[in-house]
Amino acid sequence: MSRDDAMKIALGSDYNAIQSARVLMVGAGGIGCELLKNLVLTGFGEIHLVDLDTIDLSNLNRQFLFGHEHIKQSKALVAKETASKFNSNVNLVAYHANIKDPQFTVQWFKSFDLVFNALDNLDARRYVNKMCLIADVPLVESGTTGFNGQAQLIVKGRTECYDCNPKPVVKSFPVCTIRTTPSQPIHCIVWAKSYLFNQLFGIGEDESPDLDNTKNAENADEIANLKREMSELKRVKDAFGSPEFVKVVFEKVFETDINRLLSMEDAWKYRRKPVTLSYDDLKTSVNRQNIDIRAVLSKDMVNWTIEENVLVFEDSVNRLSKRLQLLQKVTDKSESFPMLSFDKDDEDTLDFVAAAANLRSKVFGIDLKSKFEIKEMAGNIIPAIATTNAIIAGVCVLEAFKVLQKNFEKAKMVFLSRQPGRIFSTESLQPPVPTCAVCSIARCSIQVDVSKMTLGKFLDEILMTKLGYSAEISIVTSKLLYDIEFDDNLNRTLKGLGVGEGSFISVIDEDDSGDLTPRVNLEFLVYEKSFNSDDIFYSLESIPQIPRQPPKNDNIDDKQSDLEAPLVSSGSGTTHKRKAEELELGDGIKKARVDPSTAYMDIIDLDDDETIDID
Amino acid sequence: MVDESNKGISANEIALYDRQIRLWGLAAQERMRSANVLLITIGGFANEVAKNIVLAGIGSLTIIDSRTVAATDLAAQFFVTEESIGKNRAEACLENIEKLNRRVTVKALAEDFRSKDDNFYAPFDVIVASELTFEEYLSINEICHSLNKPFYAAGLIGLYGYVFVDLCRHRFIIEREKSNISAKIGPETSSRSIVDIKTVREGVTSKEVITKEENYNKLSDSVKNATSVFRGLRSRALLKVSPVLPAVLAMWDDADKGSTSFHELVLEKCRSLGLPVGIISDQFTTSFENSMPTTELSPVAAVLGGIVAQDILNYLAAKEQPIQNWVFLDGDTFSSPIYCI
Repeated sequence: MSRDDAMKIALGSDYNAIQSARVLMVGAGGIGCELLKNLVLTGFGEIHLVDLDTIDLSNLNRQFLFGHEHIKQSKALVAKETASKFNSNVNLVAYHANIKDPQFTVQWFKSFDLVFNALDNLDARRYVNKMCLIADVPLVESGTTGFNGQAQLIVKGRTECYDCNPKPVVKSFPVCTIRTTPSQPIHCIVWAKSYLFNQLFGIGEDESPDLDNTKNAENADEIANLKREMSELKRVKDAFGSPEFVKVVFEKVFETDINRLLSMEDAWKYRRKPVTLSYDDLKTSVNRQNIDIRAVLSKDMVNWTIEENVLVFEDSVNRLSKRLQLLQKVTDKSESFPMLSFDKDDEDTLDFVAAAANLRSKVFGIDLKSKFEIKEMAGNIIPAIATTNAIIAGVCVLEAFKVLQKNFEKAKMVFLSRQPGRIFSTESLQPPVPTCAVCSIARCSIQVDVSKMTLGKFLDEILMTKLGYSAEISIVTSKLLYDIEFDDNLNRTLKGLGVGEGSFISVIDEDDSGDLTPRVNLEFLVYEKSFNSDDIFYSLESIPQIPRQPPKNDNIDDKQSDLEAPLVSSGSGTTHKRKAEELELGDGIKKARVDPSTAYMDIIDLDDDETIDID
Repeated sequence: MVDESNKGISANEIALYDRQIRLWGLAAQERMRSANVLLITIGGFANEVAKNIVLAGIGSLTIIDSRTVAATDLAAQFFVTEESIGKNRAEACLENIEKLNRRVTVKALAEDFRSKDDNFYAPFDVIVASELTFEEYLSINEICHSLNKPFYAAGLIGLYGYVFVDLCRHRFIIEREKSNISAKIGPETSSRSIVDIKTVREGVTSKEVITKEENYNKLSDSVKNATSVFRGLRSRALLKVSPVLPAVLAMWDDADKGSTSFHELVLEKCRSLGLPVGIISDQFTTSFENSMPTTELSPVAAVLGGIVAQDILNYLAAKEQPIQNWVFLDGDTFSSPIYCI
């Protein structure tokens, strides 16, 4: 009788693969705590966990490996400490670090049998997705929001990767909605947080990501208006520190600016006109009511009255002013000007945004919101509970069983979405999208002395001579390094162009002229190395075979012409929609492998004996 | 342990429960706060339920278990360790459960539930039983149903599992944005009806608050009904029925089986339920039989424990559609249908 009995009964000899498995878990928060518990109890031999975050009170309703005594400590380290008690046969290694740190190399990712994402942001998910594709390690991706969640398996060459399908874009609002014609509480909150707060205490200018400056104001009047508003606000800041500061700010944004808006009569033809607020009148009302500010600040789940909002506005402006003044005193004049930034957990900044947003809502006849609600909107808080995370984490381990049993067909995309009649809905995992810029491109790695290798030599010797590219290509890192019309950088070294250990260099084939279609993108992973010789300062691991993009010709079946394909990167660096008929998902690749007469497609280079299995 | 049950919800609690209050609201949280839940035996599934509802902030939890911790328990139970082996299961996990949330009163009874009379169940708001025999579930459910107490029974059989729910008569609300398809007061299904519809204005949007009522069968009646609910379904639908259902019922059959193989018993059960035998594979029954009657795996416990815990919390909050009334989980295929029997 041992703790292993249950697993041996359920999985038989497959359990050996689990006991000897070495897995990585990225994230030790909501899903992470539950997943770690499952992995440890199940007996995965070695588990590495990475998380850069520290523990907060609001985590404790669900991240059960942490207690009150752990607040402010590292999630990864505390998770390891608590979970290690669940099974002494398991080896846990914890890193309080960012998964994007250079210490986590491709080699390191390769050392795992399986990687689990337990993350809460797109950027990290994309990063791990890419690293797992390069390292060719299966990835179990998952996420939860409130009552809903999902999990899926990502295997290079077999399934879609995280980037095969476009992800929803974060919402941003046009400048005019925020600055001129708000109609919902969120518009007023964004105004308070990204405009007014920043102008008074923070970044200044319009550097905030919430304000979408590409969707510009509709007419010259409005643009001129906004510019004047902002320059006046800058002058208002001169009153900073004086006892009249609050009144000056209040009258500027809730009276002067509103009067100017009202003069733009066209804007209010079909919209409710804004109404100015009188600081003096409201203050008289406030004083008459004898309000206790402490009481107001603590009742955050109930709407404040207009007088209470005025009081909180005043109080928070004073608190923030004091803090900024203190900062200015201790900051060296030669350093950049000190500033504050909005943080939902910083009460002073939250109180300010709440009051300012509500006052603006009052001006525009929009419903007021409680501080609790404003915190959620301003802070992008996602409601979270223990049960959803527990369920999805359980699903992740069940998916992992299939990977370790090499039963990939049984792995699914699993959704928890409170559908009637069932707990989970499932979908088969789809094959990779052939035009995916992340998983369906060619990759190779290069060891190079970046301080000796010039871009020109890289282009001539490697790309053109060795790999057969013409000069009609683009070479891109996070910026454009070279294209047929931009050759300024050819004499510069890679190092001088910002290329170093772990950098990616993309080569985009722009040559549309010959019989063959342009090649798919090629991405180099750079490893820095110094060489003894004067002549040789690079080595390619192997000459990659780079397939051509699918052709735009008439041979392909017309049946799928109704389908719209996702946006793809074409050779010219622009994006355009490809019709589904051009893609020939799955089948096209199979054809290339078995039918040598389809000469327009180079055979895709594979590791040794691996084959592509398209379901 | 901080006893705040007599006072209203405090600012500290609101801060702790912030992320879940944002999902189900303050009123729901306050209702959970005064709830009293009973767990009959504390195996792996019950560990998960306990974790989830204690974290959520119920009022009190009582655990009754007469068994002692064995090494095999450690596969799915994280409230106990090697040091707990030989100790009473309820007592061994008490401290770790309390640590999860000091505001919850946790009691451990190192006793046999079979020695308890009907009055034992009276103070509880919800009763959850696992790792028991069919007869034991029947007898507890009879008591609960007569006392009008919600009852959950669940079992883990390797990669497979089941949940049975009897909430007697339960009224709950659903909130949704006002839609073009208007809800009407009256029956929706054989078990559920719409009782009330209110429209609530929130600024420029309107939402509908719909009150529904679900009526539940006792376990004994439900199992009897099983032989008729699948009749009249099209073969396409019948072929999708989870094999876990007939397997569980076959496992529960008390009849003297003689030399009939379990596989045969499951096939017979299919026939008696009007289900196509094609849904049963040898591989499935072998796997199921090896894990019978109870084999608890951590991930399966996590899934079912999460499902049941959320249903309990929803019940206490009187919000959201509850499970009506069976869930059959196949951890191999992720099939997880909810059948109303």
